[in-house]
Amino acid sequence: MNKQTPTLLIRLWRSLWTTLRHAWAKRETVSYPEVKRPLPGRWRGRIVLTRDPDGEERCVACYLCSAVCPVDCIHLQATQRADGRRYPETFRIDFSRCIFCGFCEEACPTLAIQLTPDFEMCERSHNELVYEKEQLLIDGQGKHVGYNFYRHAGIAIFGKAIGEGVCDTPPVDHDTNLP
Amino acid sequence: MGTIRIDGREIPFKEGDNVLKAALAVGIEIPYFCYHDTLGSLGACRLCAVEITPKDPAKAPQVVMACLEPARDGLEVSVSALAARQVRQGVIEFLMINHPHDCPVCDEGGECHLQDMTVACGPPYRRYRGRKRTFTNQDLGPLVHHEMNRCITCYRCTRFYQEYALGDDLGAMRLRNEVYFGRFQDGPLASPFAGNLVEVCPTGVFTDAVFRQHFARVWDLKTAPSVCPHCSVGCNTLPGARDGTLRRIRNRFHAELNRWFICDRGRYGHQYSEHPARPLTPRVEDVKVSYRQALTAAAEQIKAARDKIGGLGSVREDLEGNAMLRALLYDLSGIFATFSDPQLEVATTTAVAQLQNTTRVLSLAEMEQVDAALIVGDLTAHAPMIDLALRQAYRNGAKLAVLHSGPTPLVRFAATTLTVPPHEIGAHLLRLNEWVAAPSAAHNKQEKELTDIATYLTAAHQPLLIGVIETMVAPEIAVLAQLSTALGSRARLAYALPGANAYGAALLTPASSTSAMLEAIESGQIQTLIVAGNDPLGDARLGARWRTACQRLNTLIVLDCVATATAEAADILLPVAAWAERSGTFVNYEGRAQGFASVFQRSEPLPSTAEVIADLAQCLGLAPPDAAVVLSDAFPGYQAPVPGTLGSPLAALPLPVQIDTTILPAKGPHPGRWQAALTSWYGDEPLAGFAPALLKLAPAAAALINPAIALSEGIAEGERVRLRGPVETMVLPVQLDNNVAAGTIALARGVLAQLGVGHGDPLELEKIS
Repeated sequence: MNKQTPTLLIRLWRSLWTTLRHAWAKRETVSYPEVKRPLPGRWRGRIVLTRDPDGEERCVACYLCSAVCPVDCIHLQATQRADGRRYPETFRIDFSRCIFCGFCEEACPTLAIQLTPDFEMCERSHNELVYEKEQLLIDGQGKHVGYNFYRHAGIAIFGKAIGEGVCDTPPVDHDTNLP
Repeated sequence: MGTIRIDGREIPFKEGDNVLKAALAVGIEIPYFCYHDTLGSLGACRLCAVEITPKDPAKAPQVVMACLEPARDGLEVSVSALAARQVRQGVIEFLMINHPHDCPVCDEGGECHLQDMTVACGPPYRRYRGRKRTFTNQDLGPLVHHEMNRCITCYRCTRFYQEYALGDDLGAMRLRNEVYFGRFQDGPLASPFAGNLVEVCPTGVFTDAVFRQHFARVWDLKTAPSVCPHCSVGCNTLPGARDGTLRRIRNRFHAELNRWFICDRGRYGHQYSEHPARPLTPRVEDVKVSYRQALTAAAEQIKAARDKIGGLGSVREDLEGNAMLRALLYDLSGIFATFSDPQLEVATTTAVAQLQNTTRVLSLAEMEQVDAALIVGDLTAHAPMIDLALRQAYRNGAKLAVLHSGPTPLVRFAATTLTVPPHEIGAHLLRLNEWVAAPSAAHNKQEKELTDIATYLTAAHQPLLIGVIETMVAPEIAVLAQLSTALGSRARLAYALPGANAYGAALLTPASSTSAMLEAIESGQIQTLIVAGNDPLGDARLGARWRTACQRLNTLIVLDCVATATAEAADILLPVAAWAERSGTFVNYEGRAQGFASVFQRSEPLPSTAEVIADLAQCLGLAPPDAAVVLSDAFPGYQAPVPGTLGSPLAALPLPVQIDTTILPAKGPHPGRWQAALTSWYGDEPLAGFAPALLKLAPAAAALINPAIALSEGIAEGERVRLRGPVETMVLPVQLDNNVAAGTIALARGVLAQLGVGHGDPLELEKIS
């Protein structure tokens, strides 16, 4: 019992010293929102639709993001341009339901849908959290620079005929049997 | 018949089955591409590899193709054997070498056999790093989209198109690793069954070009068992809808009717329900109003008219709608009819009365087994799937005889063709009847042909007589039935009726009600007319008479889902749900009542015809009739058929129809030098007429004339002639066609309506100097 008393005192002084030390230490807390912490590039926040290196929409409206979405917050309708290129006529994400799981990004075969390090999306009503395509589509390639789905897939679009893809040989002439 | 053992499980099989068929029947999923239940085995894809263990233990196990290996009693089969799995994996890896890897933009994705098989048996990674062989695509018309790079050379397309549907403009070209499936050159596919390529193709080479415009993945589509509303065959379909719009139609297997296939009218005609001009808001005197307001306005007009009221149902309206309208008209002591043309009413009721008398009407599956058939009229346009069934009969060796006035694709397969003007059809049927009763020697070419037909029909084990009601008159229909009786109990009778529910409508139609209604309107005995799903003002023969008569009406109330001439002229328009948006019942050509379920609701739901009539009755202060009660009154013991089942025969009392078999003598000259004949094509139907993609294939308006007659009259191909009908005069280019009878001008339905003539009516033709 006698032995414990000085230990307690030492503890007390140590705590006081620690407190005092922290009073003059560098602050860990930032005064958000005046000061913003840098977020890692792979942070799963606000979803965007990106464009390919040619400036065209990357999204081909394949519906895989809406299929994989566990909370059903993505709704889109596919349509196509006169040259056969698919794109979403409407693309809508309900961020009041989105859980930022990132499944859509993982499912996207054209690297179009990407999650960004931005979480500041507060609104006063649920309706304002429903983002339409105009709010989602950005003028950039996002995280995956240089990828263009149509260069690899063997279908023709404007500016790339059959057989002109990076994996293709020139098309077979089916009017002759000669090799 | 015996059992085989698949991985230790005893599987029964039927004589003639192969291992794959026996396994699939019990739910063992042996992977396959080229095998198809109807198209059979080919062994082209090599995917259904299985290992069989010979009885003799000295012999090594073999890997064989399950689709080509006949099932034998005691056969030991292993699907999971390593050797078989390796073969299947190799096949998939090989097929994927040249695959374009474009699943995100492929419409087949989600229901693609290649995707499923790759996941099920293929290697998870791609090893091949070389370049891919590519093909250019063809423009195959507005219905089918071609993407040849996705092909896996299973030959299902050509087997269906050439061998099954007997089309000749799609085939395989080139050889080795470069086999190409397409047409000789770009152009729309000519077959009325081309849309089935979308379903038989296990990958995305052929996809639905109409669905592509408003594409949705299969997992997003709402579906429910339905029945096709476009002709009297009643094929079973599976409509797919999303976001309150109808997107596509797929075939739904029905073992006795359509089985795996439907025609292009059934597959693409559904677009009428998404037509931009489709009425969706009720209108009173061209002012858009709410449903309640329109209903109140209609009830006021009906009350004002007292018993001076008429109700016109329709052959394309479901059984519930027609029966409810009839019940309402009984309560109001008005006149009820279902046809807009008295001649068509008599023809259809005669046909239905004859069908009620026959022992049993053949289903499509049974029609494929007949060994002789007499076809009166153009089946391809009026009942395309009966045409496909008869093509199977032809493949099985049946002799087909075609008695017709205008072009019909079936003449290609006919053993004997008789091309005669419409007014001589009856005389030819009578001659056949006489020949069957007392065979006689033939003196001229035409008699020789008649003798030939009579010979096959009498020699056949099961002859089929089938008539197209729209281009026949009642006595001809009755004489065809007499011929069936004369041929004995083996003979079978069928008619292609003029609408999806023509059979049901005919059963509800009081005798001579159409002419009674027209006369009552003309004499002012009807002041308010309720039209449900009918288009009397657009009728080919009597449209002009109806238009004049309807001007005498105080109020024209129209319930419809398409913008017909009658709907445009309506004083009160009550838009109703299209067939996929409501549930109901259609009675097909056999008398089989089939229920269809409501697939989806539009964003602003529309009521069905039966619901509108119930609401109207309530507004009138009458006890609202209930469709189930009304139907059990009309058909004793009626039970609504459950959608998705095979359907049940409609038990109805025999129709009290005066059967008239007096055929006008054809010997004398016809009143006019020329006679009009209806030439129709497979997309030609009141509802499908609102489907834009299908209409792109409609033949250009022309006057079709027999070349020999044109030569004698000095008319050249492409020359413009003036046609003078009772209503209007039209100038049309002449097209020469060997399949048009002498003295006959074959014209499209729209042209006939404009001229004001019906099939078989006289018409004036003048050369323009």
